Amino acid sequence: MTAPGRTVEVPAWLVEQNLALCPCGCIGKRRKGGFLAKTVRGGSAILQQVLFGEDVAGASGLLQRIDPRAKIVGLVLLLVTAGLAHSMVTLAVMYALTLGLAAASALPVGFFVKRVWLFVPIFTGIVVLPATLSVVTPGDVVLTLWHWNGTAQGLTAQGLTAAARVVCRVAVSISLVVLLTLTTPWVRLLAALRGLGVPKIFILIIGMAYRYLFLLLGVVTDMFQARQARTPGVPKHDREARAFVGAGVGALLGKSAQLSEEVHHAMVARGFRGDATTLERHRFRAADLAFAAAIVVAAALLIWGDHVLVPR
Amino acid sequence: MHIPDGYLSPQTCAVGFVVAAPMLATAAVRVKRRVKTRNVPTLAVLAAVSFLIMMFNVPIPDGTTAHAVGAALIAILLGPWAATIAVTVALAFQALLFGDGGVLAFGVNVVNMAIVMPWVAYGAYKLVSRGATLTAPRRIVAAFLAGYAGINASALCAAAELGIQPDLFHDAAGAPLYSPYHLAQTVPAMMLAHLTVAGLAEGILSAAVLAYLQRANLPLLRANHPGVPVDAAAATAEQKRRRRLRPGVVAVAVMAVLVVLTPLGLLAPGGAFGEDSPADLQSSLGLSAVPTGLARYSDLWQSALFPDYLSGSPWTYVVSAVVGIVVVGLVVHGAGLLLVRLLNRRATEPRERVEASR
Amino acid sequence: MSHAERPHAEPLLVCRDLRYSYLERYPALDGVSLTVHRGERLALLGANGCGKSTLLKVLDGLVFPDSGSYTAFGEPVTEDTLEDEQMSEGFRSRVGFVFQNSDAQVFSPSVREEVAFGPLQLGLSRAETAGRVDDVLAMLGITELADRAPFQLSGGQKKKVAIATVLVMSPEVLLFDEPTAALDPRTQFWLVELVERLGEAGKTVVHATHDLDLLHRIADRCVVFSEEHRIVAEGTPGEILADRDLLVAVNLVHPAAGSVR
Repeated sequence: MTAPGRTVEVPAWLVEQNLALCPCGCIGKRRKGGFLAKTVRGGSAILQQVLFGEDVAGASGLLQRIDPRAKIVGLVLLLVTAGLAHSMVTLAVMYALTLGLAAASALPVGFFVKRVWLFVPIFTGIVVLPATLSVVTPGDVVLTLWHWNGTAQGLTAQGLTAAARVVCRVAVSISLVVLLTLTTPWVRLLAALRGLGVPKIFILIIGMAYRYLFLLLGVVTDMFQARQARTPGVPKHDREARAFVGAGVGALLGKSAQLSEEVHHAMVARGFRGDATTLERHRFRAADLAFAAAIVVAAALLIWGDHVLVPR
Repeated sequence: MHIPDGYLSPQTCAVGFVVAAPMLATAAVRVKRRVKTRNVPTLAVLAAVSFLIMMFNVPIPDGTTAHAVGAALIAILLGPWAATIAVTVALAFQALLFGDGGVLAFGVNVVNMAIVMPWVAYGAYKLVSRGATLTAPRRIVAAFLAGYAGINASALCAAAELGIQPDLFHDAAGAPLYSPYHLAQTVPAMMLAHLTVAGLAEGILSAAVLAYLQRANLPLLRANHPGVPVDAAAATAEQKRRRRLRPGVVAVAVMAVLVVLTPLGLLAPGGAFGEDSPADLQSSLGLSAVPTGLARYSDLWQSALFPDYLSGSPWTYVVSAVVGIVVVGLVVHGAGLLLVRLLNRRATEPRERVEASR
Repeated sequence: MSHAERPHAEPLLVCRDLRYSYLERYPALDGVSLTVHRGERLALLGANGCGKSTLLKVLDGLVFPDSGSYTAFGEPVTEDTLEDEQMSEGFRSRVGFVFQNSDAQVFSPSVREEVAFGPLQLGLSRAETAGRVDDVLAMLGITELADRAPFQLSGGQKKKVAIATVLVMSPEVLLFDEPTAALDPRTQFWLVELVERLGEAGKTVVHATHDLDLLHRIADRCVVFSEEHRIVAEGTPGEILADRDLLVAVNLVHPAAGSVR
């Protein structure tokens, strides 16, 4: 499944469908339709996305060969650079840089571009659209749409700049994060976080949580599919449906409590005393140092260039 | 409410990490200090549950669906510290595993959803369910309100963080560098969505799960409700426990309120009453003679700490806000400790007298 | 070949009059006494819920009896004595437990880390651990799984990984809870062969099972639990399987079913 060197074919579902979960993760989205079907669909999407990620991370490419610690440090550095950039040119150069890195890392570039630009218009484009209007961002009106109390109202130069800048910044930031996650197997990412000083207890919890995510995902999907099978037609959104979701999460919690008890026994049986040691065998090579140095130089150049382009 | 990278200035993100780090460190220490090693698997499984809860679609009465975060529920079942860790890990999944951004903004997201949300929810739950038995319907109401209050407090924080961006960070032409909306726009927009839809989803989920556990799995519910009688019969048997003032909780609550209010300082026109500098006094009040004492001390303060904290760069405002909040929190904590000690002394005296008379 | 007939084999694990109840209400063990000798292969037989899994957990120092005593390798095993680091390390490295639910036992993000968990906790160096992990994966024929995530494994593969996690610590005593449950016939056969080889290597093996078909191959001695959570019989597999009334009484065979074997 993760044979190195294999060219990665992008499965159709990844490009067509929405991202796993609601990509923002948290805001309550209003969507019409059956809550059962959507929950079941969300579950399988998570699993598929992770499997796809493992495939790409196993391919051989530039970023796959770099030590994850160097990649994480580089990512943060570039994210800060993107955050500090004022000029659209700087952001455009950075986006080109991410595309180059993606191509060098055997990532399907078409997929990479779609992955980012499916997210950005939906969650950023629409959101910043009203900000181009003078009612939100006052400034020099470049396109008059209406008059209010005798003053021209419409799109302002400042508003347009601001909106374009936010959209580009979000696109660059997400491209950078996707580069890291798609070229690093999850296990090595965890080890790198540990190497960068994240407390052991968190690494242990994150690692186990990842492992049980899939087990519990199966439980949830079964539960909802069983209900779906017994619910002909469109599921109702009534009191009973809400009680079912409550019972579903409740049963999930009960099952989790039982599971954590068993896991606890399994850990203690093998000598766990509250402080885990992990197997880490990473050594910084010259290539990693060179990569880190290149990122530092690139970030410095970008920031310098940005100051030249937009003096402040 | 999950803020992706690019909407917040790096400075704001840094403040997010500064606020989140001590809370997470405390949570990790508390988890480790407990003798039982079982906390590690419990938290791991809960983090997975928290991630999955974001996947559950909750049917809302108006015929649509929304999904919840589950922070309130976990705080009720296993305490706010556990919820802080579980939601933090779930957010780490979102940011790293699924590459949906939020790496620089991770600290801020942790503050909103893993700290403010469970703690506000827990506070609301404790407040409403105080004195209720474990199977009382009032606990269901309390769980609904906990979820509702928690997610709305969290949304308010996110709105505040986004809303201060255009005022603090803009270029020479006045175009905002990051999120372009002002507080006057972010707060209503976020609150409308959360007061009506997301708040309901979180509330319904918390209440429905609590109701289910009351019927089907009381032992799970009992884990974080030590000493709460199961039903009315057990309640009469149990003596009413004395209400206790917890200085730590009060101090954290005060700090949370201050954090939420901080951005308002930027909106407030003019200076605060009684904080005028000597120069202002002279010009606005027409005082020709500044009191000599004030003149002497004002120099000292100006050079010492944060000179003119509103006129400098955004950094100074943020740093001074953090320092101020921490200082206030420490003072409240200290005062609370003192008060508790005094109350305890007074409370033990009469009891000793009663025992002596037996 | 048969290890049970050694009359003066050294007692390793000794239980006296164990009593244990879940949540202080549901009894699981009601006065159980048992001695496990060095080098023997012992099967704990009984219907579901008879207490055999609980007994294994007591033997592994995971739950502690409400009353009665348990000594392992001459040392009393209690919650207090296991608090001692040396005692805990010694005991944990000498007794290994293969759980019924491999999902609970395989908790790390990758197979390699999973197998390395035990030796690392018990203080082996990273280099030595890595070597042992490679050896044990090769021995069980699952080297190609090393970098897989557990959720990508089949049930049989997970069981093999679970067994690898225990064998890597080279324990003297191996406890198996329902080892053959939910395995396909080929993996069952593989497991039986493994147990036979472990027995030949001098390991002490204790199984909890209700699988009577494989009994004669995996055990030299059996103890039978009643549904009242007590031990009601003891003997060689041949003797136990011949006693049909006993097996019906403890609900291991259905009265209407034909004879065993």
